[in-house]
Amino acid sequence: MTSGPSCTNKRLVIMAQTRSARGGSSGGNGAGEARIGAGARVRGRIAGDGALTVEGRVEGDIALRGELTVAEGGEVRADTIEVETLVVSGTVDGELRVSGVVHATAGSRVRGNVTGGGTLALDDGAQFAGRIDAEFDLPAELMGSSGGTSGGRRGDRR
Amino acid sequence: MASTVIGAGITIDGEVTSDEDVVVQGTVRGKLTARDGVTVEHGAVVEADVNGGPLSVAGSITGNITSTDRVDLQPGARVIGNVKATRITIADGAQFKGNVDMDV
Amino acid sequence: MNGQADVTTIGRGTVVRGRVTGAASLEILGRVEGEVEVQGDLLLDAQGLAAANLSGRRVTIRGAVRGDVVASEAIVLEDGARVVGDVRAPRIAIAAGALVRGYVQTGDAVQPAGGRTRAQPVATPVQRPAASAASAPPRAPARTAPAPASAPSVAAPARPPAQSAAQAAQSSAQTTERITVPRHLTASAQPAATTSAPAASTTKGPPPPVVPVLKKGAKGAMTKKRG
Repeated sequence: MTSGPSCTNKRLVIMAQTRSARGGSSGGNGAGEARIGAGARVRGRIAGDGALTVEGRVEGDIALRGELTVAEGGEVRADTIEVETLVVSGTVDGELRVSGVVHATAGSRVRGNVTGGGTLALDDGAQFAGRIDAEFDLPAELMGSSGGTSGGRRGDRR
Repeated sequence: MASTVIGAGITIDGEVTSDEDVVVQGTVRGKLTARDGVTVEHGAVVEADVNGGPLSVAGSITGNITSTDRVDLQPGARVIGNVKATRITIADGAQFKGNVDMDV
Repeated sequence: MNGQADVTTIGRGTVVRGRVTGAASLEILGRVEGEVEVQGDLLLDAQGLAAANLSGRRVTIRGAVRGDVVASEAIVLEDGARVVGDVRAPRIAIAAGALVRGYVQTGDAVQPAGGRTRAQPVATPVQRPAASAASAPPRAPARTAPAPASAPSVAAPARPPAQSAAQAAQSSAQTTERITVPRHLTASAQPAATTSAPAASTTKGPPPPVVPVLKKGAKGAMTKKRG
């Protein structure tokens, strides 16, 4: 398997490719998987269709129409990570524009607000700091009450 | 049997309203209203007006008691306040200070 | 009829309006409006409703909460839980079917791994409103701490790398005591050192419009925008 490029280009675009990535994070659309191996370091923006697994280190925005998996030991630092679903077992730091689920497993470290309407699933032992603005309604009896913080809708982003 | 039990280590400052029965072992300050029975156990402290069905008191109530049924003060009970009920018993050893109104 | 003396149950047909406190455990099947702070465990049942801040040692939420949920040990939001408010505890588990809208933070603080500071869209959670009003609005380079209330004492020695101070600031919103303005931004104020710097950092917002020039050593203090 490839250990991915070690690249310092300003723009790096990984299109959907079929690699024999191990483990699955197949994003469900069959467009193929891409992987940045443990020894790789990417600096730049990553965009594409399909799933991406990061086992190494990425510094730069990620925009995927698919699932991003940051494996244990993997690290992503970005201003914005825009993906459909995110599974983190490593470290992620950046705004998480996720429409589906952000799943942080035990041992992961995640910092960033979850925008995009996604929901958060934390395993015991995950470290997380960030805001989530999932869209849902409380039961009617609680709607008009006071107490707590400004749990507003998505427009509440500050 | 009781659906709401305010345990010994708990203090509620405010209103408790229930459509079931309530057992108080801790402290309630404010107002206590239950549709069914109210039991104030030994050691409990209620500084509140109490409204309910049948009341059994072994602890302390400071406040007015209004019951749609009977009020029983057990030995060791200490009640300061007016009682309105259909029936009332005050056991030997209970302390009571207040008016009793059995005119329902 | 006597349950354990130290577990309180607020039954399904019961509403408590006010403050519930105590060194015991609490189970809410009914409704609470106000404030709940217990030293024991706290369970909000699936039909339970809380328009209140909830605080306990181990807090399990299965119902709906409009309020902050805080625990000294752990919080578990189970499937079906709905929380509008902040969620803070050393350990937090959120099931896939639990819904949260608010700030979620595990640990006393989550260190940004590697210490790199980022431009967060929102400030860290536990803010004293007065403090955050007085601070400089979050500028990407400045990484000013959210709680600069006691800034005066250390604004002058801007020397300590802004990175570590900001890291500490970001990591423990509660205990942040210092604001460190990166050297390059205080260049103009530096001569005035101790006396004017405090005023500058607490009352003034952004430093004078100086194009932030990266001085040596300040590199680590800034978040570099990546291509």
